[in-house]
Amino acid sequence: MEEYPEELRTPPVGLISLVGCPELHQMISTHLHSEKPPVNTLALPDFSKISIMAKTPKDTGASGNTQPAGILKRDWLLKHRTKMPAVATALIPADHVSGDPAQWNQLCTHLDQLKAVISPRNIKLVVVVVQASSRDDFNEDRMIALRKRAEVDFKYIITFSLNVESDLKQSLNRLGILFAELINVYYRDEGHRIKTCIEKKTYNYVELCIRYCFKVAVYAEFRRDWVEALKFYEDSYHALREMIATSTRLPARQRLVEIKTLAEQLHFKISTLLLHGGKIIEAVLWFRQHCASYRKLIGAAEVNFLHWEWMSRQFLVFAELLETSSRTVPGFPSLISLAMDKSLTEWEFQPAYYYQLASHYLKEKRSCLDLSLSMLEASYEIDGSAESVMPSIYVGQFARLLEKSDGVISMQLLTDEEFIHYAVAEGKRFQDSFEIIALLKKAFDIYSSLKATRMASHCGFHMAKEYFYTGETSKAKESFESVVHLYRHEGWVTLLWEILGYLRECSRRDGSLKEFMEYSLEMAALPVSSNAGIHSFSHREFGPAGPPSFHQREVIHKEALGLVSRGPGFTSNGDGNNLHLAESSLHLEIDLVSPLRVALLASVAFHEQLVKPGIPTLITVSLMSQLPVAVEIDALEVQFNQSECNFTILNAQKSPSIATSVNQQGYCREEIVPSLALITNKWLRLTYDVKSDRSGKLECVSIIARIGSHFTICCRAESPASMGDVPLWKFEEHGESLPIKDPPLSLSGQKAIQVEEPDLLVDVNLAASGPALVGENFVVPVTIVSKGHAVDFGELKINLVDSRGGGLVSPREYESFSTESHHVELIGISEPDGDDKSQVGSGNIRKIQHSFGLVSVPYLDNGGSWSCRIEIKWHRPKPIMLFVSLGYSPCSDDANAQKIHVHKSLQIEGKTPIIVSHRTMLPFRCDPLLLSRIKLAAADSDRPAPLPLNEASILIVSAENCSEVPLRLISMSIEHDDASESSCTVCSANDDLVDSVGPALLMPGKEYRKVFSAVPIERSQKVKMGTVCLRWKRDSESHEQSYSSSPEILTRHRLPETDVELSPLVVCLECPPCAVLGDPFTYFVKIRNETELLQEIKFSLIDSYSFVSSGPHDDTTFVLPKSEHILSYKLVPLASGMQQLPRVVATAVRYSAGFEPSTSALTIFVFPSKPAFEMGKSENGSESVFLAAE
Amino acid sequence: MGREVSESCVDNLLIEMVSSYCDRFYANKPELAARRIEAIGYQVGHQLSERYTMERPRFSDHLEAIKFICKDFWSEIFKKQIDNLKTNHRGTFVLQDNQFRWLMHMSIDPSSDGSGLSHDASGALVDNKAAQAASMRLYFPCGIIRGALTNLGIPCAVSADISNLPACSFVVRIKV
Amino acid sequence: MIVCVAVVGQQNNPLYIQSFTEADDALKLHHIVHCSLDVVDERVNNPKKSGPMLNETFLGLLYPTENYKVYGFLTNTKVKFILVTTDLDVRDADVRNFFRKFHAAYVDAVSNPFHVPGKKITSKTFAERVSNIVKSFGMGSTG
Repeated sequence: MEEYPEELRTPPVGLISLVGCPELHQMISTHLHSEKPPVNTLALPDFSKISIMAKTPKDTGASGNTQPAGILKRDWLLKHRTKMPAVATALIPADHVSGDPAQWNQLCTHLDQLKAVISPRNIKLVVVVVQASSRDDFNEDRMIALRKRAEVDFKYIITFSLNVESDLKQSLNRLGILFAELINVYYRDEGHRIKTCIEKKTYNYVELCIRYCFKVAVYAEFRRDWVEALKFYEDSYHALREMIATSTRLPARQRLVEIKTLAEQLHFKISTLLLHGGKIIEAVLWFRQHCASYRKLIGAAEVNFLHWEWMSRQFLVFAELLETSSRTVPGFPSLISLAMDKSLTEWEFQPAYYYQLASHYLKEKRSCLDLSLSMLEASYEIDGSAESVMPSIYVGQFARLLEKSDGVISMQLLTDEEFIHYAVAEGKRFQDSFEIIALLKKAFDIYSSLKATRMASHCGFHMAKEYFYTGETSKAKESFESVVHLYRHEGWVTLLWEILGYLRECSRRDGSLKEFMEYSLEMAALPVSSNAGIHSFSHREFGPAGPPSFHQREVIHKEALGLVSRGPGFTSNGDGNNLHLAESSLHLEIDLVSPLRVALLASVAFHEQLVKPGIPTLITVSLMSQLPVAVEIDALEVQFNQSECNFTILNAQKSPSIATSVNQQGYCREEIVPSLALITNKWLRLTYDVKSDRSGKLECVSIIARIGSHFTICCRAESPASMGDVPLWKFEEHGESLPIKDPPLSLSGQKAIQVEEPDLLVDVNLAASGPALVGENFVVPVTIVSKGHAVDFGELKINLVDSRGGGLVSPREYESFSTESHHVELIGISEPDGDDKSQVGSGNIRKIQHSFGLVSVPYLDNGGSWSCRIEIKWHRPKPIMLFVSLGYSPCSDDANAQKIHVHKSLQIEGKTPIIVSHRTMLPFRCDPLLLSRIKLAAADSDRPAPLPLNEASILIVSAENCSEVPLRLISMSIEHDDASESSCTVCSANDDLVDSVGPALLMPGKEYRKVFSAVPIERSQKVKMGTVCLRWKRDSESHEQSYSSSPEILTRHRLPETDVELSPLVVCLECPPCAVLGDPFTYFVKIRNETELLQEIKFSLIDSYSFVSSGPHDDTTFVLPKSEHILSYKLVPLASGMQQLPRVVATAVRYSAGFEPSTSALTIFVFPSKPAFEMGKSENGSESVFLAAE
Repeated sequence: MGREVSESCVDNLLIEMVSSYCDRFYANKPELAARRIEAIGYQVGHQLSERYTMERPRFSDHLEAIKFICKDFWSEIFKKQIDNLKTNHRGTFVLQDNQFRWLMHMSIDPSSDGSGLSHDASGALVDNKAAQAASMRLYFPCGIIRGALTNLGIPCAVSADISNLPACSFVVRIKV
Repeated sequence: MIVCVAVVGQQNNPLYIQSFTEADDALKLHHIVHCSLDVVDERVNNPKKSGPMLNETFLGLLYPTENYKVYGFLTNTKVKFILVTTDLDVRDADVRNFFRKFHAAYVDAVSNPFHVPGKKITSKTFAERVSNIVKSFGMGSTG
């Protein structure tokens, strides 16, 4: 499209001319250009330039009666767009109008001149009087005179005022409207004038009809009357089409060229108009018709390339038009569905289709041009006469420039022969290949974006071919490779063959032997045979590989294998063959997706699924090839993931030199077979036994076939059970056989086998009893017993793992690194002799960490045993997994032999053995007033009660056995956390009762209690009472020796801190521990005031039926600061047994707190008569011990 | 041109095929025999579906294809349609034939077994054997359905259920 | 004149392709048949565009190339039949008729118990039958 002149490519725009006042031209033309529709301006600075618009004298000569020399002048359109204004505008300064007579006369002369120039062309005249300032006054008479002089209607004389901005704008607008109207009128009139010529048929030649129609259409386009433009372009086109058979004006060849050139122009105009009008379907149909009517007009053989070039251009231009309009026209795809019933197809709406065909015709052109060139060059040399040929004044014609002796240049029409010369010489100048590639690239891109992969691949293939023939091997290869997979995938063997042929040639040019071999082998193994429907393939069509046939496959096969069998250092000779085998050998890899699977396929199946180590099992290696000629393999290497199983199969027919060369690489098992010939489509089955000593998976990885001394193919092993079909061949009707003779095996065979663990010949026993207790060193005895063979280099690994998955170290305490930070800890491993002390010194222990240990095991003979004890300490109750693994060599003489591992594991629960709890009680029959306790009673009862300062409180510590084994308590004591500042004195109430008797046996679930008295001596919010230290041990059933051997365990339990508070008042009840019926005794209620204040106390005595009492009943008394008030009562018991003393209720008025002794404090035992035992010691019992009844 | 085949011939052919594969070719490998019989059915179904869909527009979805199997396809083979079609709308279809022709002439009676087993012990065994024989025969129609559907572009697995003879249900599970 | 007919399998692999030209453009015809599969895909995947021809086996004109017209037919079993002709003016009915006969021949060929589904058709009988159908193309015969 770019090669078309601008005036053809764009729609015409109306033209006016401005004369005079050049300073205003810029402004006016800018304004007009921005109008809608825009108007172009031909600006002539002064009246002397107006002759440019003048009619040339030749024009007058053209009439309907003489034979026109051509159909359409080349410059006609350009002339009308740039030189022939519709309106001529005279810009006259106002002062000239109203100025002196000389100026007026000058003005009149100019107007006359202008009128003379424009009237033959019917150009409209507008006179603009430019008012530079408002002071310019208008002379009405002069204006009328001006109008008369200009012979125009009054409305075509306008004033143009420059002084005010708004006026200026208004003037410009007025001018614009006026011009638009006049342009319309002008082009309508012109069109009308020519239309009447057509209607009256005033012409005798069809050329004129074409020309007239074209002109009418152009004039209509000026007016933006697209419908009329289209109609007349079409008329013109049809008239032109009819001319082909009738015209005799020019020599035949040039005549056709002229007609086609014009048809191209007309077609372009029509297509543009249709597409811009959104009529895509019509445009496509029109294009189809256009091509159909000109396709066959190939013309003379010598210049037929011009026809193909022309055709190619039609497609290219239409493609470009379609591409631009498909971007601009909305709803483009929906149009396609409308078109389906008009027998239009999808691709015809796609520019790619036209680009592709354009490239096709361009190729046609190139081949015709080559033919023409060779014909011409054969007859005579092309001389330089073509240089003086140039396009003539008519569209589509060429003429020779003749320079006569007098310097006058004239044009001479060419003879057909000259024209051919010229055309061929022109054609030679262009490189069509690049153009073709560019076109195909565009088509490729568009098709790819449409996901039309096959179309795109087709374009890509042609592109690659073009690259190939222009010698750009690398680009060609890239393009070929990008499309080849589609043909492989869809199994279009003939097309694949063709591409592979090119690729093979590319790699030959590149000198890449590896690729050459790959492509050669793939081609040789393609399923093509000479019969099936492809007998009509010609040799020419198929590029370098020739037509696909069995014979050709054989040729390729032999060439390829011939190359590699010749050994290193050779360079193949002749025909640009720069393939050579490098010093090292050539190695090909065939994996599961390689296209070369057709060339070599390896299926490997074990006959069993499970095997014991060291027991041989059968494996079948099956190979198949579709190569057309039988291949003799020199050696096959079968490779496993356990490399010690690898073995090599040697061909006995080959020289033993190969065998030795293989053997040099080290020890390798070798098998020799009489022949290793791979026959087309026949499985080569080889069965051998394989033995693995290592447990786990044994998998055959690959088979390496060695052909000749320097060529190997490594083929990935495939399981028959999961083997995919061989690509391409799966569509062929050919005999298929199973890789293994046994059908079930070939359906389910696997290339991998599971080698079981060897039978255990060494026992590892973990003898653990019951749950472990927190704090103790739990002992797990380990016994290793050899039952089959000796144990050497034995090594025992011990590992503790939290069986709940968490770590054995609590993260919070992780930093401290103390032993306490590990919940469970491996303490040590001791030898069976129980010599604990020798642990560290012994070389046996290599490593012990908190949760990991390693110990070496001494040499054990067959039948020998060894044991050790693992000590584990729990700091927190936590279940753990104990993993013990023994690794050893079965025989002592070979240290590198395969180690055998025996694993054992045991889950051990860690339990808390003893739960220590405590509680505090206030002293018996002594009731200190604790203010916080009063408040507390309401608030929350959970908080431990504060202890009274300086008063002895009772602390009861109990230890409950919550394990499942009986424990023996050795001692229980309370230690101060820091002895230096004892804020609270705690001492045992009774002197080591337990220790004197020996360790107390604590059965599971039972509780042991001990009473302490605690006297806080420092008033503080937080008083530490100390830590309970509990010594205990397991109570073993087998008494003395184990009893003594199991060490004591110390469990520490820190008592919580308690509040200590000074009590302002203390009320104590004092009475004897027991009474005798009828025997009077004294009962004191002592109220001690600990404050510096006078305390008012109200009290009352509630009588009891069991006693007769004397003393104060209800009263109020005052207790002096730091002194004691004693209420004393005399009581006589009236009943024996447990009796309630009379209750004394005292109320401290200051604190409004009442004292009410508990029922137990008021209980006293009354003997019926005086007992006969000594009771002296229990005199002070009220303030010492109270043991709970249970 | 009539396309009629003697029913007894078909029955005999079926019996012969099953016994050939089960008792001779793969005597001790019933799963292999089943696979072979199914494969034969697959090919038959593949070919028949090609023929029976000749003059009809393409199916737009799976259900249409299944309906075709139930109606036209079944009628062509058995001169009756499938009696009941159920689906879970997630790719499983159950096609039930209340009088499945290829099982109608099959004896489920233990006495006809003639294997000489003592009555009390072998009752269940014989029953089991009969069911096994019936299921062997059903691999063939299963293969036919699978072949037809696969050829119509619906890869699937087909199994048969004969829990209430002579009705027979074919379960089609479409592979996604 | 019919220059090429083809049967293309479910995986777009050629099952049978036969050209009937004396000129050496058989390979080009292979390319044309292969490319036409794109249009088949397009029509099947975008049934809206095909409008009234929804799910009809006959796909109509697939695309015109420089010298040929390509027609397509898609069976229920996703087997494609492709026809390439040089005739500019082809009656739709003739093409439909051709495809019907071609399809019947194909069904007979694949119903051969020795034919493995999905493989190329190598039957000579089929080839003969196809060439007869091709010869009678456009003759207005009813059979």
